[in-house]
Amino acid sequence: MMDAISISKARLRFGQTIALDDVSLAIPQGTCFGIVGESGSGKTTLMRAILGLQKLDQGDVCILGMPLSHSRAALKKRARVLQPIFQDPAASLSPRSRIRTLMGEVATVLNEPLAVTYERLGVILNRLGLPKGILDKYPHEISGGQARRVAIARALLMKPSILIADEPTAGLDVSVQGDLLNLLQDIRQLENMTLVVISHNLAVVRLIAENAVVMRAGKAVESGDVASMFQSPRDAYTRELLSAWPRLRVE
Amino acid sequence: MGSFATLKRICSERDGRLGLVFTLVILIFAIVGPLVSPDPNLIDVKARFAPPGAAHLLGTDNLGRDLVARTSAGTRYALALAAMIVVISSVVGSLIGVVAAVAGPRIDRVITGVFDIVNAFPPLILAFALIALYGKGPITFVLLVTVVFIPQFGRMARARAQSLRSLSFIEAERMLAVHPATIVARHYLPNVAGPIIVLASMNLPVVIAFEASLSFLGFGVQPPKSSLGTLIKDGFVSINQSWWPIIAASLVLAIATLGATLLGEALRRVIDPKTTGAR
Amino acid sequence: MAISVRNLSVDYNLSHVTAHALRDISLEIGKGEILGLVGESGSGKSTVAFALMGLLANNAKVTSGTATIGGRSYDLTRRDATAPLRGRGMAMIFQDPMLSLNPVFTVGTQLCEVLRRRLPGGDRKAHVAMAEEALAKVKLSDPKRRMGQYPHELSGGMRQRVVIAMALLSEPVLLIADEPTTALDVTVEAQIMREIVSLRDRIGCAVLLITHSLGLVTEYCDRISVLYAGERLEHGTVKQVQQQPGHPYTRMLFDCEVAIDRQRAVNVTENRFTVIPGELPDPFRRPSGCIFNGRCDVSFDACATTVPDEFAVGDAADHGARCLLLAGS
Ligand SMILES: Nc1ncnc2c1ncn2[C@@H]1O[C@H](COP(=O)(O)OP(=O)(O)O)[C@@H](O)[C@H]1O
Ligand SMILES: Nc1ncnc2c1ncn2[C@@H]1O[C@H](COP(=O)(O)OP(=O)(O)O)[C@@H](O)[C@H]1O
Ligand SMILES: [Mg+2]
Ligand SMILES: [Mg+2]
Repeated sequence: MMDAISISKARLRFGQTIALDDVSLAIPQGTCFGIVGESGSGKTTLMRAILGLQKLDQGDVCILGMPLSHSRAALKKRARVLQPIFQDPAASLSPRSRIRTLMGEVATVLNEPLAVTYERLGVILNRLGLPKGILDKYPHEISGGQARRVAIARALLMKPSILIADEPTAGLDVSVQGDLLNLLQDIRQLENMTLVVISHNLAVVRLIAENAVVMRAGKAVESGDVASMFQSPRDAYTRELLSAWPRLRVE
Repeated sequence: MGSFATLKRICSERDGRLGLVFTLVILIFAIVGPLVSPDPNLIDVKARFAPPGAAHLLGTDNLGRDLVARTSAGTRYALALAAMIVVISSVVGSLIGVVAAVAGPRIDRVITGVFDIVNAFPPLILAFALIALYGKGPITFVLLVTVVFIPQFGRMARARAQSLRSLSFIEAERMLAVHPATIVARHYLPNVAGPIIVLASMNLPVVIAFEASLSFLGFGVQPPKSSLGTLIKDGFVSINQSWWPIIAASLVLAIATLGATLLGEALRRVIDPKTTGAR
Repeated sequence: MAISVRNLSVDYNLSHVTAHALRDISLEIGKGEILGLVGESGSGKSTVAFALMGLLANNAKVTSGTATIGGRSYDLTRRDATAPLRGRGMAMIFQDPMLSLNPVFTVGTQLCEVLRRRLPGGDRKAHVAMAEEALAKVKLSDPKRRMGQYPHELSGGMRQRVVIAMALLSEPVLLIADEPTTALDVTVEAQIMREIVSLRDRIGCAVLLITHSLGLVTEYCDRISVLYAGERLEHGTVKQVQQQPGHPYTRMLFDCEVAIDRQRAVNVTENRFTVIPGELPDPFRRPSGCIFNGRCDVSFDACATTVPDEFAVGDAADHGARCLLLAGS
């Protein structure tokens, strides 16, 4: 089966900083892939390159075997396959539009009757535990947690087969973090979705991802199967990350 | 923020209240004038240069025309022209500015180049030149002055749009493959509107004064129509016979520009509190 | 006890209503001990720190509370009650190190300022030497050069080290660290926590570590206090609380924490995560009964009406929780 996303020899620098340094990855379809690493290691830049929001200096990105193109036709095609969930979900909702308007845009893009889109939306809102009334609100009238769900709902409404989430649990209390993670797990199971999760939370990535890459200073220092990576890390930096992680052990 | 809340915030400070009162006075004067006074063009040679009195509250001019009626009509005309110019130039300017920011570097360079050329001339001189070239009709006048004011709005809209471009909500729209025209209309323009409204309200007094200057110099409003500028000019010509005409027109111009300026400043402090200080 | 806080209550006045941010909080920290104060965001952790430091916002009012620090007692309801202790008896590390650093002065100037306040009339050269030594102690590379640098020239982790060096030089009786590592990466977090522990070892001060991470508490703290919606629900040694949580909230909080060595199903979609359902209670009107009532998984009728006292958990005298289930035992 062809890979959902493959990146070969991606290089990118911003002035003096090397944001991506010869990164190559393959993300198989239907799996969850974790991107971990400290802040500034290039995780978000890698996501933006995959989305086509950031042009690479060198290297290629392929989505389902198709090389990334910046033409409008290609963008339209890609939007039905690949959807992002940005790090600050409240900021990813247009501030002067009602949620209903934002959801309605999906119908236009998919060329689908509005009624059909709203019917699918009803199912999605239900599953995400969002009340219907939220559609009449503006983004600043809902809570941060709800905004996160609205952003996910909108992405799901596009019926993508690949979802990329940047730090989906950052800033959440543990009591609500689990809720979001369970949701992502459900989405994967029900839709056979490919999920790419960027996170600095190693413990979480270990439990939800089949494969992962560890980034440092723009380099992919170690990548592969999560189980073996966490059990016997090959790279010194991976070992350092793992040993620094606070443990909850009972003596 | 709702418009009622904005109004409340404006009224909460002295300058805002003052600006609002002045502006209302001018508006009421412009609207109510024709109701209390006779026809502004009614000539009464016997009452030439009458001082203020029961018959003529502000006196009369060199042809015995009532000054309340004339300044009121002039104010109405001047305000209508200024409002039209500001509205058209802010709408067109925002649109061009956002397009410059969004449509790629080549179009951006062309648009900013044109803005630079327009801005290279002092506005009054440029208006003279354009009017000399294209004639003095009221519609040409509005269009030409609009052109002079478009770059200001365009630049501000472009700068705002550029800072919006890298925000996640614009990127999220792009990732959804929403049509670029929809993105501009629905997501850029409403978020550019705040500072543009402020700039427009601050430009209103500038345009009022600008129109008055042009009319005073004979390049603006043409007789028999009168605006504040032409009234000041007429008063200036006959200042040796009576100083009432020039005082009446100048006073109205002063209150109108002062009121609009104070109101514009207050609006800016409410809508756009970050950009305080000189622009 | 080196430090104790009794019955601290803090209100925030909003235009029409009053939010009760803290209700009757008590804390005890022994000399040389690290107390972990945990709770979700909004539970009032920072308010405790600010009330102790006298740094509360203008709309805050301390309605009750006394603190005993270094043998002297302070009435916290008086603004500036602890002002004499700031920079001498008490030091604070914020999540954002720039809150403690002045951007226009060099690191050296700021460190020497701390010494000038603690040892007035001291020799400037000696101060510079002590400051350099402190930077070396917190393992900042090349201390001589750092002395001449400005805060903006340093990374987040390095800035936090400078703040720790400042705390070290002020030799406090109580060090308050409010989420000191939340903005930092795990590897840097571990290093900074080690510096805080070694600072405690050096000067034997009491440390109040405020955090939402139970991982940090179990790894570095001696004692733990659990805060929920402005009330302390449980306190005890880390070991006691972890082995036998007295309050259902504490148990649920530990269950939610994702441990790095948790059992992992080979089919990862089968890994589920624990959640505490429900939402925080209204801060403006405290519901009657137990504050955790609506979200508790073992609540019974009396929980809705009776505000639980604090009961001992097990036979340990220094382990208590406010849960009616403990009343009978
Ligand atoms: N638009 C940009 N301009 C300049 N530097 C950038 C830009 N975006 C990211 N960087 C730099 O690239 C590096 C990687 O950043 P990023 O991908 O955001 O890291 P992460 O998401 O892992 O924290 C950082 O050093 C960052 O400062
Ligand atoms: N200046 C303030 N005015 C009003 N409410 C405040 C203020 N500061 C904090 N609060 C409220 O008090 C509660 C406790 O806040 P805080 O002590 O910052 O919690 P934590 O540090 O545990 O996240 C929160 O509900 C917060 O919204
Ligand atoms: Mg990032
Ligand atoms: Mg806090």
